[in-house]
Amino acid sequence: MNKMNYQLLKFLMLCMLFLLLTGCGKKEEKDDTAKNNTNVEEAADNNQKNEETDKETEAASDASVSDNEEQEVVGYPFEFGDVTIHMNTNAASVIEALGEPVEYFEAESCAFKGLDKIYYYNGFELSTYPMESEDFISSVNFLDDSVSTTEGIYLGSTLEEMLAAYGNDYTQEMGMYIYTLGETELNFLVEDGVITAITYLAIVEGLE
Amino acid sequence: MIRKILINISVITLAIIILALLQELFMPKYMSSIHEGNLVEEYYDEVKEHDVIFIGDCEVFSNVSPITLWENYGITSYIRGSAQQLIWQSYYLLEETLNYEKPKAVVFNVLSMKYNEPQKEAYNRLTLDGMKLSKSKISAVKASMMEDEQLITYLFPILRYHSRWNELSGEDFKYLFDKDKLSHNGYLMRIDVKPVNVIPKGRKLADYSFGDNSYDYLDKMTKLCKENDIELILIKSPSVYPYWYEEWDEQMVNYAKENNLTYINFLDEAEEIGIDYSKDTYDGGLHLNLSGAEKFTDYFGSILSNEFHLPDHREDARLKEIWDKKITFYYSMEEHQRSELEKYGYLKSYGAQAQEKEDER
Repeated sequence: MNKMNYQLLKFLMLCMLFLLLTGCGKKEEKDDTAKNNTNVEEAADNNQKNEETDKETEAASDASVSDNEEQEVVGYPFEFGDVTIHMNTNAASVIEALGEPVEYFEAESCAFKGLDKIYYYNGFELSTYPMESEDFISSVNFLDDSVSTTEGIYLGSTLEEMLAAYGNDYTQEMGMYIYTLGETELNFLVEDGVITAITYLAIVEGLE
Repeated sequence: MIRKILINISVITLAIIILALLQELFMPKYMSSIHEGNLVEEYYDEVKEHDVIFIGDCEVFSNVSPITLWENYGITSYIRGSAQQLIWQSYYLLEETLNYEKPKAVVFNVLSMKYNEPQKEAYNRLTLDGMKLSKSKISAVKASMMEDEQLITYLFPILRYHSRWNELSGEDFKYLFDKDKLSHNGYLMRIDVKPVNVIPKGRKLADYSFGDNSYDYLDKMTKLCKENDIELILIKSPSVYPYWYEEWDEQMVNYAKENNLTYINFLDEAEEIGIDYSKDTYDGGLHLNLSGAEKFTDYFGSILSNEFHLPDHREDARLKEIWDKKITFYYSMEEHQRSELEKYGYLKSYGAQAQEKEDER
């Protein structure tokens, strides 16, 4: 092969390398976090998790419940008895601490590889999503007025009481008042001035 | 001079071939798990003569058996379904399908109306990576991309998957050039049983209206079918979860009425169909198992046959020969699944492992 051909080959190789590196520079960074995943689904899940996690909320997403005692988790917690529940944290010890649920539902996750699970307790339901063989808390939804938020708001509270407890830093659409803190959304549905639904939600791509 | 040109062409060709091979190698094969990743791609090997095309999410590819439709009514059909298929993906898959064939009816499962925006890259990939390069694919990708996604990674997937180089397994080499067929005209079979114990109620929503984007694509789908003289049938498949709100149902009833379409909510007819949710689902109500899918398909088949007058092709020797092969594959897979259930207690080769492991906890 003459000199010109070598140069052409070099040029082609460089083009390929350039394409590989630039075409997914962002992904590359993310993919490194998911080296052990064997399919795109898991990889993308983990990538997304890492990508959206900023310095503050990293603590929240990575913390297990036992870690919660040691680390400050950014987000709205829900307290039930002695159990403090943070969104987007490992569910295992919370589930254990809450005891036997009244009902339990599981189904193959539509967004992640594994099972979505719903645990029903007196007054609320707790949902989890799977991630790397573990379950993380995706939401807590109030079922009746026997439970209340840490700030004392329950189903049947008024809009004024909610505003007094949480202030005016919310977004509102069609009667849904959404407070965001870290990786958590706290949603209040207000109908005729009365709160009719309360849900804590983890902010994770693909969760509904 | 000619020699130089030939060498240059050879070098370029070689580079392209290597790149293409690497791309094939790095792409996930979906053979041992996440079988639904192959559904879109499998269609291209099909003899494309179908009277009915089903489009939609898992509520079609798990709940409808084209083999039953053939065996009981002689109706030829194919499911162009995929996991969490969003309505714009359904539309572009339909548009692409019409370049290959012109069915008499298109059946669209309306659950995806609830998604007004792209949801997740992983699910985009399961639908879009399998599409052949076409105008429809590019449009589908553009409509589906999340904010941080790039069109070029769908056109040249090596840009997305090259980081799998250190995860490559025997499966990636084994299925580099040829994959096993996993579906039965787009139907993913599961014979195991996991009864419905709890049906989660839907949470209260602030707004039950389907989004403008969803309606826009439903309008496009309606228009496309009308232009091609194809009957568009809207269905809500009889899966009990995710929750299907009354308010959503009402919108579909109204849409069908306004556009002179048929809409059938089969959830309301589950009892008449004979679905027993303690036996006919493999995952607690999301998807029907083989027994449930055959019951549902038989019921729907009678509607397609009697009300839409779709022809019975069972006397057509050429088609019969094609479908006889499909029937053999169908029953051999059923037999294989039964033997796996007996041997392992779960469907080891059919994506049931994770669930079973969870159950053991």
